[in-house]
Amino acid sequence: MNLPNVISAELAKLRTLPIAILCAVGTVLVGAAIATTLAATATEQGGSAPTAVGQAVPFAQVGIILLGVLASAHEHSGGQFRTSLAAVPNRGLLVTGKSIAALITVALTSLLTVGVSMGVVTLTHHPSDGLTAASAAEQWRLAGAVVYLTFIGVLSHAVGLLARHLVPALVSMLALVLIVPPLLGGLTEHARWLPDRAGSLLYLPGADSVLTPGTGTLVLLGWLIATGPAAVAAFITRDA
Amino acid sequence: MSLGNATLSELRKTATLPATWAAVTLTLLGSVAITVLNALTVRRALSAGTPELVADTSSFETGFTAMPIIGVVGAIVVGVTVIGSEYTADRAESGGARQITTTLTATPHRTTLFASKAMIVLAFVTMMALVTIPGNIALAGAIIGDAGTETVSLTEAVNRSLGTALYWALMGLLAFSITVLTRSGIIPLLVLITNSSVVSFSLLLTNVTPLAHWLPDMAGRNLFGFPPESVVQGGLEPVPGAVVMGSWALALLVVAGIVFRRRDA
Repeated sequence: MNLPNVISAELAKLRTLPIAILCAVGTVLVGAAIATTLAATATEQGGSAPTAVGQAVPFAQVGIILLGVLASAHEHSGGQFRTSLAAVPNRGLLVTGKSIAALITVALTSLLTVGVSMGVVTLTHHPSDGLTAASAAEQWRLAGAVVYLTFIGVLSHAVGLLARHLVPALVSMLALVLIVPPLLGGLTEHARWLPDRAGSLLYLPGADSVLTPGTGTLVLLGWLIATGPAAVAAFITRDA
Repeated sequence: MSLGNATLSELRKTATLPATWAAVTLTLLGSVAITVLNALTVRRALSAGTPELVADTSSFETGFTAMPIIGVVGAIVVGVTVIGSEYTADRAESGGARQITTTLTATPHRTTLFASKAMIVLAFVTMMALVTIPGNIALAGAIIGDAGTETVSLTEAVNRSLGTALYWALMGLLAFSITVLTRSGIIPLLVLITNSSVVSFSLLLTNVTPLAHWLPDMAGRNLFGFPPESVVQGGLEPVPGAVVMGSWALALLVVAGIVFRRRDA
């Protein structure tokens, strides 16, 4: 088996997993709904459409986290994983194919979420409502939102590979991204090194004094580098 | 099977479920870690003579900061996995069966089974509250010592601790009922954990309509009794909020019990 075949096989598995499709569709819909809701309050404050979409990103990341964890953990419930190993004995190839398939899925969903949210907000809130037009910097922030969501999805995929079970991986990622940052953020300034805090610089303007969007991306990459090789090594060396 | 026997067997099942102890342990360790961090910061500010740098020098408030939210997540995980573990499919070579069929064979009377599971959720969340809440407050008090000024009276401290334990218990029962209805733990875990964080759908809904304050997690959030400057204003008072949240939990328990009794498995 070569890499393109493995990637298309993994993509086919995800495409035919009902909960993965539901999760992707749900993320897009929830993101659009929340962006529209937030845009209603943003018009009163003289914001723009990308600001509302940026505020909806923390909500959309929840669906992306589930999607990323599903991409790696769905095979371990039941015996499907052993079938995959029988089909692709080369574990390095298998984990590469899985990860690239997860990356494609998560990136596509992120792109759709941000795009559809932006479109729905622009359509439902006419500029005459008080919603200012998007500047060039704000359009870059939309791209940053897509990048951030993709990063979080791939991080969830790595955590899923490590945990091998859906519930522990899901609870850990949700705690890391949703529960821990506000609690630590109120206590110490070092909470800026947490993935969602560092990543928020990609889609929120000037959220932190020390990090910039570029360094925020580097911090996210650092988190991936910390978990990715560990996940790959575990995948290759563990039993099944 | 009698209710007592069913409860004992459910106790054993839940006590040997790794997820239960993971939830309890992580609640304890997580809240202790943040309490220690908080208390050390307060003590450092007090000994440096700059108490105005920290929001509060009360040892109760220091121990109480992070514990409620972390405990809610623990209660949700316990409530979801007690019934979610029954619906997890076995490995394919073991037949791919779900534990619920064995459980229903052993305890055919479904109301007894449902009631015993609900009582076990209550028992584990109460045990978690009994250990975590006093433990954190005592730890914060031990670290800060006499240096801080206590702004919280004893009756208020007891009320807030009991309110937090009540919130955890009701949230655990809500998670349990919703998982009985969905038969899978993924969606309840996702929705409920997201709702108990700052990225809360219910909180967002309160911006759209004030009726959202009657949602269970919004109604009960004033049970924690956080100082007014650190929470979003509005919502129900603690006691009416507790009644509303309790009514939600009771209603969902009844609905889940009826559905559990009538459907196939």
